[in-house]
Amino acid sequence: MSHSDCGAPRSYHFASAFVCGLLAFSGFARGLDSSVTAAEARISFLNDVEPVLTKAGCNVGVCHAKAGNGQNGFQLSLLGFEPLEDYEHLAKESRGRRLSTGVPEQSLLLLKATGTLPHGGGVRLHADSPEYRILRDWIGQGAASDIEQAPSLVNVEIIPPEGTMPPKSEQSLQVIARFSDGSSRDVTRQALFESNDPAMAEVSPQGNVHSLDITGKVSVMVRYQSRITVFNATIPQGASVNSLPEASNFVDEHVFANLKALGVPPSPVCDDATFLRRVTLDIAGRLPTNDETQAFLASTDADKREQWVDTLLRSPEYADFFAGKWAALLKNRRDDTSDMVANFAFHAWIRDSLLANKPYDQFVRELLAATGTVIGNPPVAWYKRVKEPKNQLEDVAQLFLGVRMQCAQCHHHPFERWSQDDYYSLAAFFSQVGRKPSGVRDEDLIFHKRGVAQFVNMKTGQPRKPAALGDEIPEIAPDTDPRLKLADWMSSPTNPFFAKSLVNRYWKHFFQRGLIEPEDDIRDSNPPTNPELLAALEQHFITSGFDLRALIRAITTSHAYQLSSIPTPDNLNDRQNYSRYYPRRMPAEVLLDSIDQLAGTQTDFPNLPAGTRAIALPDNSYNRSSPFLRVFGRPEGESVCECERVQSSSLAQSLHLMNAPDIKAKLGHANGRAQELAKAESSPEEKVRELYRVAFSREPRSEEMTLALEYLNEPRTKADGSALDAQQALRENLQDLIWALVNTKEFLFNH
Amino acid sequence: MSRTSHYEPTLCPGPFAHRAPARRALLKMGLAGFASVSLPGILRLQAQNRLHAAETSGGRAKNAVIMVWQPGGLSHIDSYDPKPLSGSEYRGPFDLIDTKVPGLQFTELLPRQAAIADKFTVLRSMRQSAGGHPAGSMQLLSGDPDTRDKPKPRYPDWMTVANYLRSQSGPRETPLPTYVGINPPLEYNGPAYLGDAYSPFTVHGDPNSPSFNVPNIGLTDTREVQRLGRRASLRQNLDTLERAFDKAGELAALDEFETQAMTLLTNPQTKEAFDLSQEDDTTRDRYGRNAWGQQLLLARRLVEAGVDILTTSLSGPLCGRVNNWDDHAVNHHVFDAMRFRAEAYDQAVSALIEDIYARGLDQRVLVVVTGEFGRTPKISYAASTGAGNASAPAGTQQPGRDHWPRAFSNIWAGGGLQTGRFIGATDKRGEDSIERICGPGDFLATIYYHLGIDASKTLIRDFNGRPTPIVDQGRPIPELIG
Repeated sequence: MSHSDCGAPRSYHFASAFVCGLLAFSGFARGLDSSVTAAEARISFLNDVEPVLTKAGCNVGVCHAKAGNGQNGFQLSLLGFEPLEDYEHLAKESRGRRLSTGVPEQSLLLLKATGTLPHGGGVRLHADSPEYRILRDWIGQGAASDIEQAPSLVNVEIIPPEGTMPPKSEQSLQVIARFSDGSSRDVTRQALFESNDPAMAEVSPQGNVHSLDITGKVSVMVRYQSRITVFNATIPQGASVNSLPEASNFVDEHVFANLKALGVPPSPVCDDATFLRRVTLDIAGRLPTNDETQAFLASTDADKREQWVDTLLRSPEYADFFAGKWAALLKNRRDDTSDMVANFAFHAWIRDSLLANKPYDQFVRELLAATGTVIGNPPVAWYKRVKEPKNQLEDVAQLFLGVRMQCAQCHHHPFERWSQDDYYSLAAFFSQVGRKPSGVRDEDLIFHKRGVAQFVNMKTGQPRKPAALGDEIPEIAPDTDPRLKLADWMSSPTNPFFAKSLVNRYWKHFFQRGLIEPEDDIRDSNPPTNPELLAALEQHFITSGFDLRALIRAITTSHAYQLSSIPTPDNLNDRQNYSRYYPRRMPAEVLLDSIDQLAGTQTDFPNLPAGTRAIALPDNSYNRSSPFLRVFGRPEGESVCECERVQSSSLAQSLHLMNAPDIKAKLGHANGRAQELAKAESSPEEKVRELYRVAFSREPRSEEMTLALEYLNEPRTKADGSALDAQQALRENLQDLIWALVNTKEFLFNH
Repeated sequence: MSRTSHYEPTLCPGPFAHRAPARRALLKMGLAGFASVSLPGILRLQAQNRLHAAETSGGRAKNAVIMVWQPGGLSHIDSYDPKPLSGSEYRGPFDLIDTKVPGLQFTELLPRQAAIADKFTVLRSMRQSAGGHPAGSMQLLSGDPDTRDKPKPRYPDWMTVANYLRSQSGPRETPLPTYVGINPPLEYNGPAYLGDAYSPFTVHGDPNSPSFNVPNIGLTDTREVQRLGRRASLRQNLDTLERAFDKAGELAALDEFETQAMTLLTNPQTKEAFDLSQEDDTTRDRYGRNAWGQQLLLARRLVEAGVDILTTSLSGPLCGRVNNWDDHAVNHHVFDAMRFRAEAYDQAVSALIEDIYARGLDQRVLVVVTGEFGRTPKISYAASTGAGNASAPAGTQQPGRDHWPRAFSNIWAGGGLQTGRFIGATDKRGEDSIERICGPGDFLATIYYHLGIDASKTLIRDFNGRPTPIVDQGRPIPELIG
């Protein structure tokens, strides 16, 4: 069940849309010819009236958009993408009562829009506005449709298309529309403007952009009729950037060039301890061990950071950690006990692929074109979870191309160029996926069903042949599996989405913020914050043969990744240019493993060998037995979106860390670190140092040492008030110290 | 910005807004949600939004709801919507009794509610379209129109939605959580794309049991409290992470939650709110000295102490052999089962309603009692699958009623609603709602209305960033809200 299914009845009425469309077609062309009189200033329904309705917000989701059910039975197409239908609803439905051509001012449309009659949407137009006059005059002229005759929109231009805007400055935008008859006009007043980040720049309905004081790139999307275009603004900080870390590779060149251009000085490169903890958490999903920390801090090798990255990339924990990430996105979900075989096989296939550093294009091809049974060919499991061609295309587009197609199933994507034809053409690639029982309960055998691949566009009723997001695909023979052709198209070096989507996704993994954000929403109206860097990463990835490890290596050995998280006065406001590391709470699994590591314990999971780490769990079923994983937001594999993983804080999380039985049990475990340290011969100082090295990958500072030692030395009493013996008191105090360390921000966050 | 415009801001928040939770954007949208807004972002917005909420919710920003759930579905024919004139294969054995409201009759099973029928309103014309427990529950509680049973809800239930929206509208003024479930109906429902942060603080167990104890609140062992305090102050001394990066307020949010958690754990007020022994014996007796009675008393107590959203499920042994209201003949002898649970049910529900009024909570607190559907008007017979309370030995033929979403009843009390009425009607056999048919959307919109949430204008972004209405179709039931 996809959360995103825009076919869900909640927001959509397919059958009625379809029928209305047909009615509109047969009804209007003839009926209005007679009422058309040659007039000096003919108001165009298509080019004047529709834009007014859109600008006034009549056709948005909660108002009269059909996609939002249309309040009081008055339904318009979302954002005016379907003028034919809109004309029908406006002029014909409800016995034409919405428009009164005899007394235009008395039209229900105008009485409602001006609030003269009670209107749930409030006052949308004032009677003295040009927009009101457009509607009134159009009605007065007979409320004719000119959809067939009117010049159609060819393109929309924004002036200027880009610019540098100092903080707290203004820029007026002008929007020019060009039509099929060669005419053009200024449609600034009719266009819709929307800032992609209102905290960086605001835009008025008249197209005046006002920059605020956050540095970076911001864009304003401009819509007129069905066209969108984008104004890109750069807001510089303008501070002088005197010293930059040395560039260690192309990543640094682009990050630092951008910082220099914006005038945002970066924070310095972080110390060894910070780097060690950060990169180990990010690549291997775990804390460095006490021994690793000591060795790393002691090493004097000039390239010890690069060496450590390579060590991590070769480690099984790297494969575990990233397999967990991919398994959730690929919906490796256990809905029934009988799913277990498929869950284990699919997870193992993902993990083995990562361990062997299988090229990413090959990984995707094997998944996409999987045939056979889950035992023989585990990626077939994906087709078990994602059953319908529509869901398949949606998941593939979002996960591997970073394109969200869900909206286009039912209406023209509001912020995109994708139409319903594009949607169903993509679905056609999956139209020949055959399935039959495999002999194992609930497991299908997946095969290629010979035949011509096509999928019916539910809106037009016309079958669509496979075509891939704007690219034609040569005729696919009936005996060729169309999915292979899709895989070919995706992994072509010139594909505009495939490599970009992956490098952006991985960039976000390491930098907490994608170059395009959200990471799986790539579109013209959502430009990257550093296009040169994105292009360079893309190129590097393609040239390397889609080598995931090489990509991670390039990212993590850059100095940009190694910048301190501590801001300087001049980069405090930066949140998209990577002038410092942006800290983030550890993911649920990593946090649980880290607590175990510090407490010297392990968590048992059903049907898995003792000692299995949370990052190595194959599917979501373990969330049921582990309140910890649930509370800290381990995903359930419901969505193809990484946003299913919750990394924000909550009351339940704080309660859990402070007082949950599993945490208490870990702290007090008979073989736990507190017990072991209490028994150990080592000095109190050495005990504290060990705890700090495990928790924070660093030595305690002297004031921390003092505080900790004082605490460890405090006497404790029994319930009856008598003194606890020294070793028991020490054990309790060590438990308290571990509790305190676990509950610090320094522990919970990767920083 | 103070630029004037002929246009009101559009309600649909557009493609980008969820990325940057600017205060203005949030205000503009009338609390249209941001599924991906970080909590810190939310905390920053609170002060502003509190003002906004107070302005737009008609003073209902602090209102509360207690939802009492009949898991499995109450037989409407045998309770609030009797059909004395239908045939014996429908009617059931129960006599009718008059209620305090002229023209309104219940079966004999509900004498105490009949006596206070002026304090609530019966909605007899509920209808939804899903015949299974999961889909039926999801229809009613999250408004998902899907008729198929599925393992997880696709949309968040109203409780988590309300919790989510409340969390944006201001810091809590009491140490208690916004949303508490006492043995709550969570089997088929939950936060969906809102995330577990908005799930309830859940209390399990039988509040009538002497050993009933709520973990994680008001620790009573003073040594434990002292130790927690020691730990917390040690933590505070050692928590030295450079915080300057916290522009987005993530750490501040964490601090706030830690403080709240500490309060829950150590504040005597929270312990007291959960402590039924603070109620006098008369009151406890009035609710019934059993799990259900004490659950509802605890519900009232918590809401009075400041909880906003409270759900509790009437399940367990008081239901009969299978621990719920699913009175198929294989499970229960439906009439024995209705009789078996009637006294505890009638007593607890009537006590709650009376108490809400007696304590002056009837404006702030809405009580709604419902299940996911009704039961088949036509009696079916099948062999019992086991002996137990309200069920004959295995193999014995006994009467049952099956799932019936086409018509069912629920009751509404308090909340400043118009009471002492009955709304809607079913046909002569109770098979179909025929007058003032109300669907899950109306049910939900009414609850949201009471909480000051305009369901027709509130959108929350799903995992794809798609603005999704919290109610598909439906509006507050006018006869209830007046």
